[in-house]
Amino acid sequence: MAYLLHSPLCLLIAQLVVIIITARLLGLAARKIHQPLVIAEVVAGILLGPSLLGAVAPDVKAALFPTASLGILGMLSQVGLLLFMFLVGLEMDLGLLRGRGRASVLISHTSIVAPFALGTVLALYIYPTLMPEGVAFSSFTLFMGVAMSITAFPVLARILTERRLLRTKVGAVTITCAAVDDVTAWCILAFVVSIVRATALTEAVVTTVLAVAYTVGMLTVVRPFLARLAARGTGREGLTQNVVAFTFVLLFLSAWATELIGIHALFGAFLMGAIIPREGGFARVLAEKLEDIVVIVLLPTFFALSGLRTHIGLLNTPEAWVQCLLIIVVACLGKFGGSYVAARWTGLGWRESTALGILMNTRGLMELIVLNIGLDLGVISPTLFTMMVIMALVTTFMTTPILQLVYPPELLAQELVEPPPTDMRATLPEGFSVLMCVAFDRSGPGMAQIAGALVGKQNPADRLYGLQLHRPAERTSTLVEGGDDLESPSALDPLLARGRDHGLNVRPMSFVSGEPAHDICSVAEVKDVDLILLGWHKTLFGQALLGGMVHDVMKDAPADVAVLVSRDLGAVRRVLVPFCGSLHDEVAVRLARRMAFAIGAEITILRIRVRDANAPRVDAFLADMAADRVTVVEADDDGNSAVDLVVKAAAGQDLVILGATPLSADEIMTRCPTSFLVVHHRERPQTAARRPRPLTEPQAGAVANG
Amino acid sequence: MHFGATLRLLRVDAGVSLRALAQKIGVSSAYLSRVENGHDQAPTPDRLLAIARELELPPTLLIDLAQRVSPFVARYLEDVPAANSLFLEIARRKLNAAQLARVHAFLEAEFPARSVARSTTPRLHQLLAPERVILKLSCSYLGDAIDVAAVRLAGAAPGLNAAVIAGEIRERERESPTGIGHGVAVPHALTPDIQPVAALVTLARPLQVATPDDIPLQMLLVILGGGKAPLELLARAARLATPETVAELCQASSPEAALGRVRSVESEFD
Repeated sequence: MAYLLHSPLCLLIAQLVVIIITARLLGLAARKIHQPLVIAEVVAGILLGPSLLGAVAPDVKAALFPTASLGILGMLSQVGLLLFMFLVGLEMDLGLLRGRGRASVLISHTSIVAPFALGTVLALYIYPTLMPEGVAFSSFTLFMGVAMSITAFPVLARILTERRLLRTKVGAVTITCAAVDDVTAWCILAFVVSIVRATALTEAVVTTVLAVAYTVGMLTVVRPFLARLAARGTGREGLTQNVVAFTFVLLFLSAWATELIGIHALFGAFLMGAIIPREGGFARVLAEKLEDIVVIVLLPTFFALSGLRTHIGLLNTPEAWVQCLLIIVVACLGKFGGSYVAARWTGLGWRESTALGILMNTRGLMELIVLNIGLDLGVISPTLFTMMVIMALVTTFMTTPILQLVYPPELLAQELVEPPPTDMRATLPEGFSVLMCVAFDRSGPGMAQIAGALVGKQNPADRLYGLQLHRPAERTSTLVEGGDDLESPSALDPLLARGRDHGLNVRPMSFVSGEPAHDICSVAEVKDVDLILLGWHKTLFGQALLGGMVHDVMKDAPADVAVLVSRDLGAVRRVLVPFCGSLHDEVAVRLARRMAFAIGAEITILRIRVRDANAPRVDAFLADMAADRVTVVEADDDGNSAVDLVVKAAAGQDLVILGATPLSADEIMTRCPTSFLVVHHRERPQTAARRPRPLTEPQAGAVANG
Repeated sequence: MHFGATLRLLRVDAGVSLRALAQKIGVSSAYLSRVENGHDQAPTPDRLLAIARELELPPTLLIDLAQRVSPFVARYLEDVPAANSLFLEIARRKLNAAQLARVHAFLEAEFPARSVARSTTPRLHQLLAPERVILKLSCSYLGDAIDVAAVRLAGAAPGLNAAVIAGEIRERERESPTGIGHGVAVPHALTPDIQPVAALVTLARPLQVATPDDIPLQMLLVILGGGKAPLELLARAARLATPETVAELCQASSPEAALGRVRSVESEFD
């Protein structure tokens, strides 16, 4: 034995092995009788402590859990608790608090006041026998009050999670109440602790003020910051380790700050978890990364530690057991009764109120923490500690069966709370929709760049479609079919991948089409898009830019058409728009202006005076388009042709947006190495009988009615 | 095909409530609801006849869909018991569709039927055309597929644009999904004053949407316009929803091949 446990590390590892195995084995039994895992873990701790192992095999216990080793185990369990509270915060949806705040505060405060009052009355009765020497009666009374009013938020969360109730209405109200409850109870505890430590009353007040300030700071400063971090840091590739590391640093800093303030470090961890943004799977991925190690490895150590401090043997008189029973009755009466009455008063039905009351009566883990603090402070004796641990166990144990009795799972399942709607942020006054037609995979990334520049941060009114049309199979035989181009990665993939990088949600479509130009126009019409984006490719024969299929699309399109000539188009920062006053040029200016709004691109409009242009109209239009980041430059007429002017001005620009007429895109393009977007104004008059456009496309969840 | 889902589809499009239909055919609405949800077997032939009468459908169509023995056959066998052995012979030989067609042809030649009243509703393959067959569509939303089908349907519906058509069909789909099992859905807009046309869409990647039998969608038959007997069109479309037909249509690499397949399936029935 001594050889096996010869170094502190060996000892710690052995302890972990024993603790985890015991907890898991008992966990299996607990599951059989539908009890939460917590019960098994607490009982496992008690069994490993002096109550059983210490009594049956004192040598083994002394070798396995020597007093000197408990410090290390204690630290480990504290870290486990921190991470667990963070997880609990992650599980909690602050959105659920909204609109239910008043009821929750009322219920939870009633459910503190009632047991607190009963606890102090109880203290009057038990202090002659159970109060340790040298403790002020006021401290003892206050502590008993707090100990009675604690609700086990984490255990509650685990019962709710294990029984999949977290998203039901009762679950939501309860978890919210428990959260409010615990914050309040911990404030009182901090207050009590400072009184016990017998420093000044002012210190307790300072602690409370600091705690409130800290919470407000986390909600108003750190939370928006994290939302931005999550929006940037989560692609499909998941979180980078740097982001995770950064989150953990923040978590520990937060825990540190609350510990310094004087309200346990656990609250910093919980608050940090609660403000992690839910969007984009950030919270989910974090929770997945953490859950197993925390729940399986670290948390049981805390329970084991609490069990080691529990001596059931101390309850050796009938009187002690009567007192223990009394404590249990008072605890239930105060907590359950208080919550039930308050819940009924706020308008919940009897069933829901009973469920809520019995859930709030769960004390488990939190009570253990409080009791450990009390024992450390010497406010309560080991005997009372043991009684209170039994009380915590019993109240936790009775929760599940009674809950099942008053509120069968089927009934709860019916009340699944609808997830709150995602908030919509508008960056631009109205939605914009683009149909991107991809023929070859290499044109995809450039199109995604353009789309990203046009919509910026996509909101639900911005719709992006990727369309790929396959040529009909030329052979009709099905024998040589399989493994055809349809099976190979689609040309849409690079578009979708780049779109994802920019946080764009592009809806892909592809089908076989014999008349691509016609189908592009029809899809554009049915999708009611604002812009059709086509790619341009060098063809075998020296074809003009705007010929062939592009020409057909432009002729019939129910929307403006843009042809992208991408020359490794990256981020769109500087855009040049040569402007001669044609309708196509006006579309070009509008698109460029949109880019200025959406992503803050610098737009230069190069105004070229043309003889037959209607100058006052052009002036009015340009004045209308004036905005930040949009600069109008008059082209110096130094005797060069308009094309030369454009080529000169295009140097250093990322993108040139050009009207289809009057300048010759072909000529400028051959002399200029930048990327081009050649735009064409819709010719067809808008049909009168147009349906109101669908403002939002359904999100992935509501696929069925697409 | 999922009979319950098809029945619900027909009932919804006939504008009859579950309760009303149950009352008319003399069953409880709970039973009818179980049938529609596939928790109960297809009703007996007599009840099917009653349902067909209420929905104004040709009774044989509904009996075909439910794969029940037609009461006509049952009644004939009662009258002429000797015919029983003939049916037994056919069953024992396990004649397939092609062989049955030959028996059929022999019967036609030998005993020409006395002017059987045949339905005048157009067959599905007559409503389809190569340009309205969209093969290997790939998209991530049912709505997108409906839109693409609407694009092709617009070409055959003078005076309507694709957006209007798509809007109508999506609206109907939103009210009650038209999945009828085995990966088939029949989105439709049964406007009576439009000459019926249909589009066939096969999907390159099955769409994960809610369907009665949880098989993802592989094929859409989009129907626009109803003519005189819109429900009959839907019921005919439902007959295509067998695993073999869906698989074969999804394999088809040219519109003509797909159309041919539809035609041959339809000819097996009547």
